[in-house]
Amino acid sequence: MIFSSPYFLFLYFPIVLTLYYLSPLRWRNLVLLLANLVFYGWGEPVYVLIMFLSIAIDYSHGRIVTRCKAKGNDRGARLAVASSVVFNLLLLGFFKYYNFIAGSLAAVGLGFLPVIDSLPLPGGSIPFTLPIGISFYTFQTMSYTIDVYRGDARCQKNIVTFGAFVTLFPQLIAGPIIKYKDLDDQLERREHTFEKFASGVQRFTVGACKKVLLANALGPLWDVYLATPSSQLTTLGAWLGIAAFSLQLYFDFSGYSDMAIGLGRMLGFEFLENFNYPYLSKSASEFWRRWHISLGSWFREYLYFPLGGSRVSRGRMVFNLLVVWAATGIWHGASWNFLLWGLYWFVWITLEKLWLGKALDRIPGWLAHVYGIVIAVVGWAIFAVEDFSAMGPYLAAMFGFGAGALDADFLYYLRNYLPILAIAIATATPLGKSLWRRLPERARLAAFPVLMLAGLVFTTAYLVDGTYNPFLYFRF
Amino acid sequence: MSKKYSTFITALFCLFIFGFGIALILSPSRDFSDQENRYLAQFKAPTLKTLRSGEFMEKFEDYVTDQFPLRDQWVQLKAYSERALGKQENNGVYFSPDGQTLFAHFTAPTREALEQKVGFVNKLGANLVVPVYFSLVPDKSFVLADLLPANAPSVDDGSTIEEAQALCGDKVTYIDLRTMLTGERDAFYRTDHHWTTMGARLAFQRLMSGMNLVRPIAAEDLNGLSYQGLPYTEVSGSFYGTTYSASGAGWVEPDSICTVIPEGGTKGNVTVTRYPEGAPIEGGLYYPEKLEVKDKYAYFLGGNQPLCVIKNPDAASGKLLVIRDSYADSLAPFLAEEFQEVHLFDLRYNNLSLKQYVADNGIDQVLVLYSAANFSTDQNLFKLGL
Repeated sequence: MIFSSPYFLFLYFPIVLTLYYLSPLRWRNLVLLLANLVFYGWGEPVYVLIMFLSIAIDYSHGRIVTRCKAKGNDRGARLAVASSVVFNLLLLGFFKYYNFIAGSLAAVGLGFLPVIDSLPLPGGSIPFTLPIGISFYTFQTMSYTIDVYRGDARCQKNIVTFGAFVTLFPQLIAGPIIKYKDLDDQLERREHTFEKFASGVQRFTVGACKKVLLANALGPLWDVYLATPSSQLTTLGAWLGIAAFSLQLYFDFSGYSDMAIGLGRMLGFEFLENFNYPYLSKSASEFWRRWHISLGSWFREYLYFPLGGSRVSRGRMVFNLLVVWAATGIWHGASWNFLLWGLYWFVWITLEKLWLGKALDRIPGWLAHVYGIVIAVVGWAIFAVEDFSAMGPYLAAMFGFGAGALDADFLYYLRNYLPILAIAIATATPLGKSLWRRLPERARLAAFPVLMLAGLVFTTAYLVDGTYNPFLYFRF
Repeated sequence: MSKKYSTFITALFCLFIFGFGIALILSPSRDFSDQENRYLAQFKAPTLKTLRSGEFMEKFEDYVTDQFPLRDQWVQLKAYSERALGKQENNGVYFSPDGQTLFAHFTAPTREALEQKVGFVNKLGANLVVPVYFSLVPDKSFVLADLLPANAPSVDDGSTIEEAQALCGDKVTYIDLRTMLTGERDAFYRTDHHWTTMGARLAFQRLMSGMNLVRPIAAEDLNGLSYQGLPYTEVSGSFYGTTYSASGAGWVEPDSICTVIPEGGTKGNVTVTRYPEGAPIEGGLYYPEKLEVKDKYAYFLGGNQPLCVIKNPDAASGKLLVIRDSYADSLAPFLAEEFQEVHLFDLRYNNLSLKQYVADNGIDQVLVLYSAANFSTDQNLFKLGL
């Protein structure tokens, strides 16, 4: 199920709200768990079994780690952590990377692994598809056992509460990636107030508008340029297309995070922020402190620091960065272009750590800003054009080796998308927020319900028309 | 936010989502959308099988969007909002500058596809002894190009017809309608892809001269308002065509449908035999009851059918076989004025051998007439060459 759909907004969510708030406090995690399973099973019912398995394995490993630690058996505790990590990585590896690995091996003449198209199950086989959100929830549950071992998180003894955490629907399929330790107290006891609910409504509406009114509006422009044959791709056209994608992905993803945070608040939760105006960045490093914050922090905490982080020799640090960025790249999808994209960021971030960062500090702010944006946008071309035979020509067209500077199509698309592009660019900066804060309190109170309703009405219109509403995270 | 204010916001939000959710469940389901001209998805109770396969969920999602309360209004609101944002198209339909003329996107066929399709026409020409004429109706986006948004990409620039014409072999005579129709404001419905009776009239004039049946326009018809002195009369003023259906463009005024030739032809002896399912049924040139339904273009000859034969004993020329799409429906009354027999043959629903058909019915000449858009997409043209 996805948030930006009429059946979620007008049927599923109202029903969940009703059941949730009619239940006594101590039953609410159970209601949530059941609601989560319906939410998850909606797209691929059989994959709910993965959820049960995930809950059972991670729950029991948490218990084993705690028991071993209580007995002073550090070796046993470590073994349990390792076993949980291996299980989660195998789960992710099989569903997300198996066919990629099998296909890649076959391509170099090592075709001993058969490509899997369907999973034979009792009662008929099902197509072998990527379980939605698997990259998010395997990371969340992995961090749980590690944190229990490190003593950063308490062991959760109630399997219903733990199950509700693993499957928590607002952030299940597209993040933010939430660590158990950040949610522990809220799972046991959370506040349900009108103030929190209303702020959730505000956040959700903002997110829905970002996703439906901006991301979905810009998507078709990128689709046009992605489908344009290389021989017809002009330089300005290639930039227009990738600009549309850069904004689409940002509003899609951050809109989703906003909706998740908003829905969380309506159910009494407070999730951490996931985006902070990434296109304001003045360097590659800054971009990753502002983009998908929960992923960056996960990799830092559970991969980069354990490897030694930056407090090692220069050579070792470069190696650590290489590992982290290769992993970040391939996390985004089982395809070589994502690995290349990860390595692209590795190069820029390593250069910045070595010397480029100091140089960036000395140049004028606007120039650093241009650098930050261009790095990110060029990176998106590697990210978005998965087919290598098309990626090269696309990048070439961006840098002047295309079919001329512009053509009639470009003029048409620019003319048609300029207003929405301008709105999107303005929305990608804190301009709206600062204008809103500058309004007198009274004006804000009067304007808020009007804007909220307008946002909901237009979102509904675009959803009901529903000609373009992709879900960009099926790969993650 | 104070508690009171937060309560108000909470209530407002819940009212919105609960309100439309409840309305969706309680309101009766519609079978058919007039505005969109299609059947709407219905609620189907889940079974263990459809739940396991996910089929129920997929169908349910369609049901919710299709039966959503005030669906037509939401769709229109989106179209209005797109237009307000400066968009010159919505859901694959271009708007003219005044927003009143709608153009469906036109996708030109690839060179290979066109070669193959014209090859079938050439094969038909080689198979038959009688003359074979071939003509493509230029797309509305070619005829009324001056009303398109500047630089619109998915339009007919005339190259499809030019290439098709060049690909014609010497057994096939191509009749070019482009010059005759270009710029004619009234040649096409604003809300539909079909040509109007006026457009068909112009095409008829050109087709006849292309078939060496020169019929100069009578002096009284030169103003374009009449045919052989008969005035064009409006039979419906509330036609919304298929292009409109896709566009959601609620601001567009309806089209009017006109006719000029009366039922039974100008001399009154025209008879129509339809073969909707093989057996002959007596029919007519016009079907006034179709003016009461959404798809009013079916007023002409009653809509799609595999075969239709029109006879006019008073006519001057012989027997014409038209291999055709729906554009021929409104052209038929004119053809019936000229030919003693007009056989309208639709390859989509008819698998008879054309060679055999021509021989059995004593056909004198054959016209392959398609709109450029249909010709580019039709998958039945191979039957021409059988």
